[in-house]
Amino acid sequence: MKASTRQVGNATVVDIVGAIDLHSSPDLRKLLLETVREKAAPRVVVNLQRVDYIDSSGIAALVEGLKTSMGLKSRFVLCGLGPAVREVLKLTQLITVFQVCENEEQALRA
Amino acid sequence: MTFALKLELPSDPELLGVVRSVVQQLATVTGFSDEECRGITVAVDEAVTNIIRHAYQDRHDQAIGLVCQRRDDRLEFILTDSGLPVDPQRLREKPLGELRGGGLGTHIIQQVMDQVHYERLPEGNRLRLVKYLKHKDAGGE
Repeated sequence: MKASTRQVGNATVVDIVGAIDLHSSPDLRKLLLETVREKAAPRVVVNLQRVDYIDSSGIAALVEGLKTSMGLKSRFVLCGLGPAVREVLKLTQLITVFQVCENEEQALRA
Repeated sequence: MTFALKLELPSDPELLGVVRSVVQQLATVTGFSDEECRGITVAVDEAVTNIIRHAYQDRHDQAIGLVCQRRDDRLEFILTDSGLPVDPQRLREKPLGELRGGGLGTHIIQQVMDQVHYERLPEGNRLRLVKYLKHKDAGGE
């Protein structure tokens, strides 16, 4: 997995590429928490378009990012979910917990 | 066609991708749908992850056995380890609201697989996961 951030207006976009599993999720968790807490971004958009796999540890990292952002009253939006990500979010019934947009453009406006 | 693939791998999270590749390919050639293949893959991945995290307490140099058995009507996965016993509370089906302290992986396994059977043996843990092909007779063993 590779993850990076970029600024688009007042939003910070987190781009993730590859597989999120027990091996890579600690790095994702760290990046998400840094982005939400230290950058104090009013809107964090997590672009999952190029994520081909996610497991429960990855979902837990996303939930932690969401909870932290809620505490700081910032928005935390997921976008670009492929079947692998969408199905695991549905299996865990956590898809309704997140604000989910089809693509980054919509997420930036949401 | 019935056959078995036997893997023995260290409890290193870096190897989860290898496990997923094997399971995904096996599920595909067995005839599961794309969505079922993804589900089976994540279920086995979660089972290996649980062994690494809980049975072996994140030690990365311990042995995990994975036997993948293809039968006419199903795929079976038998995972073995010599780590700590599984906490029975982790295996209990819980409402998702109770999963704050973990258990998402176990929930996924139970949602995807048709049979989940855990045994504590003298030599360690044994977990058997079974997924039946939908269009075949699912009459059991």
